[in-house]
Amino acid sequence: MRALACAAAVVCAIAPLRAAAHEILHQVQRGRALAVRAFFQDGQALADQQAEVYSPADPKIPYWRGRTDRNGWLAFVPDVPGKWRVRVVDATGHGLDTQVDVEPAIGGPDSGAPSGAGPLGLALRPVVGAAVIAAIFGGLYLWRRRRSA
Amino acid sequence: MHVPDGFLSPQISVPAWGAAAPLWVWAVRRTFGASATESLPALGALTALAFVVQSIMIPVPGGTSAHLTGVAVLALCHGPLAAFACESLVLLLQAVFFGAGGFTVLGVNALALGLLGPGAAWLVHRALRRLSERAAAFSGAWAGLQVSSLAVSLVLGLQHHLSSQYMPVPFPVVAAAMMVPSLTVVGVVEGLYTLFAMSLLRRARLLAAP
Repeated sequence: MRALACAAAVVCAIAPLRAAAHEILHQVQRGRALAVRAFFQDGQALADQQAEVYSPADPKIPYWRGRTDRNGWLAFVPDVPGKWRVRVVDATGHGLDTQVDVEPAIGGPDSGAPSGAGPLGLALRPVVGAAVIAAIFGGLYLWRRRRSA
Repeated sequence: MHVPDGFLSPQISVPAWGAAAPLWVWAVRRTFGASATESLPALGALTALAFVVQSIMIPVPGGTSAHLTGVAVLALCHGPLAAFACESLVLLLQAVFFGAGGFTVLGVNALALGLLGPGAAWLVHRALRRLSERAAAFSGAWAGLQVSSLAVSLVLGLQHHLSSQYMPVPFPVVAAAMMVPSLTVVGVVEGLYTLFAMSLLRRARLLAAP
């Protein structure tokens, strides 16, 4: 039993090192993204059309690729300030190819902390889970012993 | 490996809950009943270890990661019903307290990871243990993980077939993404973990020698 307890302790100790890799967390930052709307002269949106955004740091490989929404909007999160190229391609051959100025204030590195569990929470999860299970089984064992006594 | 909430429609999650519920009642009565009091400490230790090893990620090629289940050793030592009950408890704790997996998909996850996989591990172990106990344990754990992975990928593939709104990725992609790491890396590590855990249990005299 001591060997099993030692093994459990070792596994618990190393678990937090890898525990963060599998879960999908998220991060919310207000005012961080830049939105661009593509529409025709009569106001009709270029809805659900292919779109690409090129960073000034690499004008050849798209920084972002996707489709406009039903109102013709696309949004991306710039990581450097400068002139960003935005392309919206309509299947019928219409499209938009323009440059958008990104100010240094929103084109900087990430500054906010991810929402959800922090690093400490992630590290503690295996330990907390194992402790809860131990408590459940321990309580059940003691309850059974008392009833049978 | 387990499916998160929102990836399966009620067409699949409700029947899975319906199938799992009576099995939970049966398994809990058998596993945690009055006659099983003396096995509770070992069961608790193995269940806690299963929870912990499911938190340890194994990096696999392709930018993703996988994890062990740690359930095969429960099935080999205490039977597939005990493994089903204990893995269901692990999945419930993960879903309720840590947001991993999910409550609506608990039936699917419990059946795939807690019943089909450990059941296959137990069957393979029983079939091969006369040849070699260690080879049987390793093969059982490896096979159990493959069955669990295949079951999850089949369910996700069925969901894509029924409605791609829930699961946009088709079965061939899901199957390849799940089965290749499972067949090559994770299954082997699960087999080694099972051998290691059974060896420790024998040394601690919590498991009879073969």
